[in-house]
Amino acid sequence: MPDEAQRARRALTVSNRIASKLRGLSDTAIAWIFIGPTILLLLAINIFPLLWTIYLSFTNYRANQPGRPVRWIGTRNYERLLGSEDIWGYLQATAHFVIWTMIFQIVIGFGLALLINRNFRGASFWTTIILIPMMLSPAVVGTFWTYIYQPQTGIFSYIVDFFAGTGALDMIGSVALAPWSIIIVDTWMWTPYIMLLCLAGLRSIPDYLYEAAEIDRANALQRFWYITLPRVLPFLMLAVLFRGIENFKMFDLVVELTSGGPGSTTELASINLKREAFEKWRTGYSSAFAIILFVTIFGLGNIYVKVLNKVKS
Amino acid sequence: MAGAVLENVFKTFGETVAVENLSLSVDHGEFLVLLGPTGAGKTTTLRLLAGLELPDSGKVLVADADVTALPPAARDVAFVFQQYSLYPHYTVFENLAFPLRAPGRRLDAESIRKRVGEIAEMLRIGHKLNDKVTQLSGGEMQRVSIGRALVRKPNLFLMDEPLSSLDAKLREDLRVELKRIQRDLDATIVYVTHDQLEAMTLADRIGILQEGRLVQIDTPRVAYERPATVYAAQRLGSPQINIVDTGKLGLEDGPPNAATTGIRPEDITVDADQGEEAEIVAVEHRGDETIALIEVDGIRLHALLDAGISMEAGQRTRIAIRSEYAIWFDSQSRLIGSGATG
Repeated sequence: MPDEAQRARRALTVSNRIASKLRGLSDTAIAWIFIGPTILLLLAINIFPLLWTIYLSFTNYRANQPGRPVRWIGTRNYERLLGSEDIWGYLQATAHFVIWTMIFQIVIGFGLALLINRNFRGASFWTTIILIPMMLSPAVVGTFWTYIYQPQTGIFSYIVDFFAGTGALDMIGSVALAPWSIIIVDTWMWTPYIMLLCLAGLRSIPDYLYEAAEIDRANALQRFWYITLPRVLPFLMLAVLFRGIENFKMFDLVVELTSGGPGSTTELASINLKREAFEKWRTGYSSAFAIILFVTIFGLGNIYVKVLNKVKS
Repeated sequence: MAGAVLENVFKTFGETVAVENLSLSVDHGEFLVLLGPTGAGKTTTLRLLAGLELPDSGKVLVADADVTALPPAARDVAFVFQQYSLYPHYTVFENLAFPLRAPGRRLDAESIRKRVGEIAEMLRIGHKLNDKVTQLSGGEMQRVSIGRALVRKPNLFLMDEPLSSLDAKLREDLRVELKRIQRDLDATIVYVTHDQLEAMTLADRIGILQEGRLVQIDTPRVAYERPATVYAAQRLGSPQINIVDTGKLGLEDGPPNAATTGIRPEDITVDADQGEEAEIVAVEHRGDETIALIEVDGIRLHALLDAGISMEAGQRTRIAIRSEYAIWFDSQSRLIGSGATG
């Protein structure tokens, strides 16, 4: 027993010693101790690679030839990139993908949110069911949609043919349909996300606003236009910001589904980037492309956030 | 002509009885205040009149028409909510004009501008018409809410604690304005509050609610001087009326079946030349008036001190009770007599 008491006392003096040492520190010093590790981590995995990529984008460095002297070539990578017609093709394909996925997902997601928000029996059950695609791995989703899209045995082609009489549809293999194949899968997978955020917005609208409108004899359209839409818009725009940035960088689903094909019809910017960097090993050139993409997303994102803040206030 | 009538209305929410066999009638041009604590059924009564709730049984009439089964839009009533129920992202003008643009009531642009202008001037927000409502202060937002009710001259105005979210100064200002506007427009208003001061100052008649039942409906003066029950007596007056067992403190000259006696704090004289021995327990100085908590024979009483008397806690004194103003209740807490009216 005395042994234990002694140990306890010793533990107390140790913690007292630490405490007194800490007590000597200023608030600023303690603040630095707390945020220091995070800042170091951020520097190591975010800031340094970014700066290093900027440096590499001005060189002819190739990662697969480590012995080769690295030469500073100024803005030549950028000139070649901006002068290349292929690059504009990839950017166009990316824009096409981002814009259409966002349009479909906003319309369907908002619609679903309005339906779920009616709180019918089993609403929470259906919410869970609707959320499932979002929780799956993109690799899994991409793989099983290749089966669904299979022209002879896939269910997609069968259903479309059954209702529209189109015959067998080669969604992935046809130049006209391949871009839509990835848009459909992304919409299937990520519409729940938009729905969830819209639902959060809808749930935040107090009933008395609708009651006041009812007394004012507002019709359904006015109620939507004057109350629902302004209240949900900040949430919706936030969802679009997150999904828009993600889709600008879309990679995994496309790799599983079309791998950029047929030809380069679905070769989105990040698919092309990966090819240039890790198949052709043009590290300097692809660094420059990465920087261009980064600046584009960053710029668009900033403009968007400004608009979002205006909508919020 | 009756402004609005409730006839034997019942309303339950699951197990809870919100309104029980309630009947009341509001005259045209009358300002009726429903007073009661949280859960007394005030808001439910208002929502029943508005049509936001439908009664389980009973009848609702607005402007002599039976509207029991009609939706809010068909009743031509206006409702001011406790929270500012404004359309965000729109200007004050747009918000005020909204009810005038609703289907079935649509006015031309010129009349809308004129009407909105009048109301905005009346509520002293005329200079804010082009501001977004989100840029307004709380008081201004609530004035816009009230304005939205006023623009369209409805049969009946329903107000659910419209001033409770405002600070004391603004509340006082708007209270005075509201009464003035009601007189100017000859409006019929049913107004819900738990603030007895609002009830006393605004009402033509006060309806006191207790657990879904109407205890008393009378002019403020009658409700104050001849409360129907102990509960009603306790709703009006600050500090609350003192309730003492009859027979104590020399309160013996009441009706024979009196069980308890109510004495308003202003009817107790502290520092009297003769009377009961008392001890001052606490003193609350409120600026314009001073309230003392005193103890006599183990009974604690609130008393309003006369101007010029200064007392301190712990001091001993004598008190005199003006028993001619006492209010007498029987053993069921019902009024059986009061000094004010004999």
